[in-house]
Amino acid sequence: MLIPHPLLGLRDAQEFTYLGDANLMNRPDPNAPNAEAMFCDYVFLRDNPAGVHRELWYHEQGDRSWLVVTRNTVTHEILGAELASDVALAHREGSK
Amino acid sequence: MTDLTPITALGGTIARVETYGALSLTENPAMALASLALRKGQSVPSPFGMTLPEPGKWTKSGAIGVYWMAKDQWMVEAEGRAEEDFARVLKVEVPEASVTEQTDGWAAIEITSSKGAAPIKALLEKLVNLDAAAFTHGAALRTGLEHMSVFLIRRAEDRLAVWGMRSSTETLWHALVVAARRLEDI
Amino acid sequence: MTRLSGGLIDRNTSFSFTFDSKTYTGHEGDTLASALLANGVRLMGRSFKYHRPRGVVAAGSEEPNAMVELRSGARTEPNTRATVAELYDGLVAKSQNRIGSLAFDALGVNDYFAPFFAAGFYYKTFMWPRAFWEKLYEPMIRRAAGLGRLSMQADPDSYDKGFLHCDVLVIGAGAAGLAAALASARAGAQVILCDEDFRLGGRLMTESHRLDGAPATDWISSLEAEFETFPNLRIMRRTTVFGVYDHGIYGAVERVSDHAAEPGDKVRQTLWRITAKRAILAAGATERHIPFADNDRPGVMLGAAMRAYANRWAVAPTKSAKDPIAIFTNNDDGHRTALDLMSKNVPILGVIDSRENAPRFGDYDLFAGSMVTGTKGRLGLKEIEITNGGTASWHRCAALGVSGGWNPNVHLASHHRGRPVWDDTLLSFVPGADGPAGLIPAGACAGLGSTAKALADGAKAARTALSELGMKAPDIALPDAEDMPVSQADFWHVPGKKRAWVDFQNDVTVKDIVLAHKENMKPVEHLKRWTTLGMATDQGKTSNVSALAVMAELTGKSIPQTGTTIFRSPYTGVSLSVLGGGDTGVNFRPRRLTPTHTWAKSQGAEFVEVGQWMRAQYFPQAGETDWRESVDREAKAVRKDVGLCDVTTLGKVDVQGADAGEFLNRMYSNMMGTVAVGKVRYGLMLREDGFAYDDGTCARLGEDHYVVTTTTANAGLVYRNMEFARQCLWPELDVQLISTTDAWAQIAIAGPKSRLLLERVVDEFDLSNDAFPFMGCAKLTVCKGLRARLFRISFSGELAYEIAVPARYGNALMARLMELGSDLGVTPYGTEALGVLRIEKGHAAGAELNGQTTAKMLGLGRMVSVKKDSIGAVMSRREGLASDARRLVGLLPVGSTERLMAGSHLFAQGAAQTIETDQGWVTSACYSPHVGGYIGLGYLENGDTRMNEEIIAANPVEGSEMRLRVVPAHFVDPEGERLRD
Repeated sequence: MLIPHPLLGLRDAQEFTYLGDANLMNRPDPNAPNAEAMFCDYVFLRDNPAGVHRELWYHEQGDRSWLVVTRNTVTHEILGAELASDVALAHREGSK
Repeated sequence: MTDLTPITALGGTIARVETYGALSLTENPAMALASLALRKGQSVPSPFGMTLPEPGKWTKSGAIGVYWMAKDQWMVEAEGRAEEDFARVLKVEVPEASVTEQTDGWAAIEITSSKGAAPIKALLEKLVNLDAAAFTHGAALRTGLEHMSVFLIRRAEDRLAVWGMRSSTETLWHALVVAARRLEDI
Repeated sequence: MTRLSGGLIDRNTSFSFTFDSKTYTGHEGDTLASALLANGVRLMGRSFKYHRPRGVVAAGSEEPNAMVELRSGARTEPNTRATVAELYDGLVAKSQNRIGSLAFDALGVNDYFAPFFAAGFYYKTFMWPRAFWEKLYEPMIRRAAGLGRLSMQADPDSYDKGFLHCDVLVIGAGAAGLAAALASARAGAQVILCDEDFRLGGRLMTESHRLDGAPATDWISSLEAEFETFPNLRIMRRTTVFGVYDHGIYGAVERVSDHAAEPGDKVRQTLWRITAKRAILAAGATERHIPFADNDRPGVMLGAAMRAYANRWAVAPTKSAKDPIAIFTNNDDGHRTALDLMSKNVPILGVIDSRENAPRFGDYDLFAGSMVTGTKGRLGLKEIEITNGGTASWHRCAALGVSGGWNPNVHLASHHRGRPVWDDTLLSFVPGADGPAGLIPAGACAGLGSTAKALADGAKAARTALSELGMKAPDIALPDAEDMPVSQADFWHVPGKKRAWVDFQNDVTVKDIVLAHKENMKPVEHLKRWTTLGMATDQGKTSNVSALAVMAELTGKSIPQTGTTIFRSPYTGVSLSVLGGGDTGVNFRPRRLTPTHTWAKSQGAEFVEVGQWMRAQYFPQAGETDWRESVDREAKAVRKDVGLCDVTTLGKVDVQGADAGEFLNRMYSNMMGTVAVGKVRYGLMLREDGFAYDDGTCARLGEDHYVVTTTTANAGLVYRNMEFARQCLWPELDVQLISTTDAWAQIAIAGPKSRLLLERVVDEFDLSNDAFPFMGCAKLTVCKGLRARLFRISFSGELAYEIAVPARYGNALMARLMELGSDLGVTPYGTEALGVLRIEKGHAAGAELNGQTTAKMLGLGRMVSVKKDSIGAVMSRREGLASDARRLVGLLPVGSTERLMAGSHLFAQGAAQTIETDQGWVTSACYSPHVGGYIGLGYLENGDTRMNEEIIAANPVEGSEMRLRVVPAHFVDPEGERLRD
């Protein structure tokens, strides 16, 4: 597969390490009253849809960036890729 | 300077040079290296009066070369200054940024071609998964080479630099030599 | 000899070769198959199940029968198709799948037991008695199964790999592919043209059709001359594109030197990974046969193959008028074989056409509305039976060309599960619209098989590809070519009671399919497994569609209703050698050498692989005969004097930024960021699930500059996790990371005399306990001005330091320290002694941090700060984890000098030894020269409250057990005074 790196263009998936569901970026609030239950979900439960999925890929043999890649897990079509740090910062802005 | 005698990444006291057909491989232990990373919100500096390059690029001014490493992070090379504390020199240039000594974290192998660009392109095709035709003068990329992490810099159409992790230089040299030897009749 | 005139062979270059030890001669341009045919050799192999004599059927990579063992010795390559084995001088080939000679194969008796080998044979036969399986059935099947045999020797040749990128990849260099490559190259696109053959032209080389009134080879030659002028076109002959992968990535094997006896300096084959923006699939088509009774005799071959041999290789199976050639066809194209052979004065018995209204194209005997219903000839065809209505007659016949229509080579278009679709006019499957993105089928593989249509379609595919890439396609002038419509009958096999082979390679007959149908194995997937149809090296290239047609007839459904055949990669077999590729032995994977490697080697060190690193394991001295002697000496020297150990392999991460301290507090369970400048702190890292993950030290070199260490094994993973936290979890923090593992040579100087030794290398630096106490760190210079970093940390429990200098100086510094410390008894020590020292001190390492242990178990429960959040903190407090009562303890054997084994499980004395009563396990064990016996560390249920209790360590694998006394996990200096001295 080829991953459309937002800074470096199309890069072969061989350069990347796959992590999975991008929801791993949404680490629960450790001070929430139900923090333990939320962390259990966060650590152990992942969506694994047949279809469009937002996933984390790490450009280990490249610029060491974490990307959020939107990919159809059935066709392997890639619909987009963003720097995870941009996604995380935008999410912070949005939740303010 | 110290009275200890350094060795090159290949374990010799002088740089190793080997030639196969049109390609010559030379260890470059004299090249200093330091990383430069921007602090949050810092404006982009111009160390040594240079404009820091875009992703995938390398620029050079005098004895200083700079290549892009990651978002807001670059590697700065300095010819012939490996024995100095070059990171400290760079830090003076960019006092606000984070600077880390990298000289011996990596080892540079300079590859030159006596027959222009073609042997360099052929070598790239055997070693790394990138579009060799598009990897022209001024291009710089980090990628995997035989399971090793390397920075490639196209210093000129007939020159390629490979920065590999110092500890695996022996394996890297072997990989480059095997590929170069197989291209001897080009 | 049955050579004809003409052909694309170089009669001036003769090659001598052997087949089954007999010497023959062929020419440059021959394949092994064409050269054997030219020498009158028809019998080339034995079939898989029945060991029936077999000859060549095809003229290309679809060949099911003529498979040989090529080369000899370690280079022996089984199952090589003689039809694609390019002839070279000195070629050595052997037939395979026989016991005895090819003509008198002892396993030929299998043929008489044919009813026994019917469909589902394996499933039905080897079910019972069960006891027979291992001793009888399996060895028997293994002996009989497979075709050729491996040499069982290491492959002596080298293989390569490479990466290519292009705008347009053209797969196949026949009419369509050549037109596509020409148009794309002229447009200025980066083009790669691959063909599995050693010559460009595809079927243009094997047909007699003319282009612009001249031989097709003229056009090919002029094209090749023009191709030479394109720097943007790469032509790859002998290169098979075998698979299509996601996003325009194609796998290809280039047979660099398969056409030489030995590769010499060259590699044997190269595996190419081609990334193409667009690809044009011009893979052509494969002719199918028509099953009839005893249709598998040597001499029965595909009609188009027969004319390929005549036209390209100037070979006919016979030249004797007494034993002529016949053609059996259901379509117009079959007649071309007769015409081509007649034009070369090959005697023709006639054309047997299944169609009542069969057209006549030339002056030959036409058996319209007829079928071939039988053959004779034990080792080769002698006679055929022709039946017209109820009348049968036998005719002498040396070779029969069978033409059952063409199957487009849709394979690569199906590699992403795209289903081929049935075309009722062509009576064949063509690529469907749901093929791989960016792959454009063209020419015969898209069902456009006439020369003119293939040329035009190739050019059209190039226009499509180029316009999709935003490039302008030039108009290219295509030569005038034949465009004959080919009419064809929907006729799939000759009915009859005798065996009629559908799949030659797997010995599957029409009867087997009938039986599979009877036994309800109707879906094609079941049919394949039940009968083995379409398996093995040819993957049913000549049989799948015919088998579907037979099954369709039995079920009364149409062919597309019955099923399709989904092809997967590889298109043809790919050797494991080229897939494995690259280096073997020491260069099989990267090796990382420590900065003192050269020195350690000169000292005769034994090395051990630790991940990719080569570390000195111990340094044997003259007179030492056992590794333990060396290790004991090294460990003792550290306790008594001073030892040196290269510890560069520990991961080092440089952490800077205004929020670096806060970042480290979140990464480590304890307060890491608050360590003072000039100090080092030990830290524990958890996984987010709460288990202990890694440990290391954190040295604060400046206000916003830290260096943390990781264990050797986890260096890459910890760095990855740190980047994850920095980018994905807390991007608002001002933190910059970079690895500096390789940059610094780090040497541990450990032992009561370490300060004395260190004083001899530092430049004016106060090493006194007050000035530089335990857990201090500093930048300084050594050996007259060399920049260095010094850390006062201890893994051994002794007074100890770690000194770091630029890696290039590590070797010299080690030698200098050895030289300056000779009067102090300085001793280098390796990883074994390092392990002994840390077990004696009770320091956790990989065996204790195995992913199943908690901070509490390590006795580090208080290191998980409750004042702040950190990775894993919340989950470490969850029920089950927090309540785990196992604790790290020291273990001493009682009344035994036997070796204590790590991995032994711990039980209370007198208790049954079951999973339920298991109380923990021994994590690490070694011989301790300090204690004078074996010691261990382990996790024990409530271990912290069971000091001095005697327990049992059981090793059920070896059936041994040992009594142990529980002691604190510090065998030396429990108060920790030495390292603070």
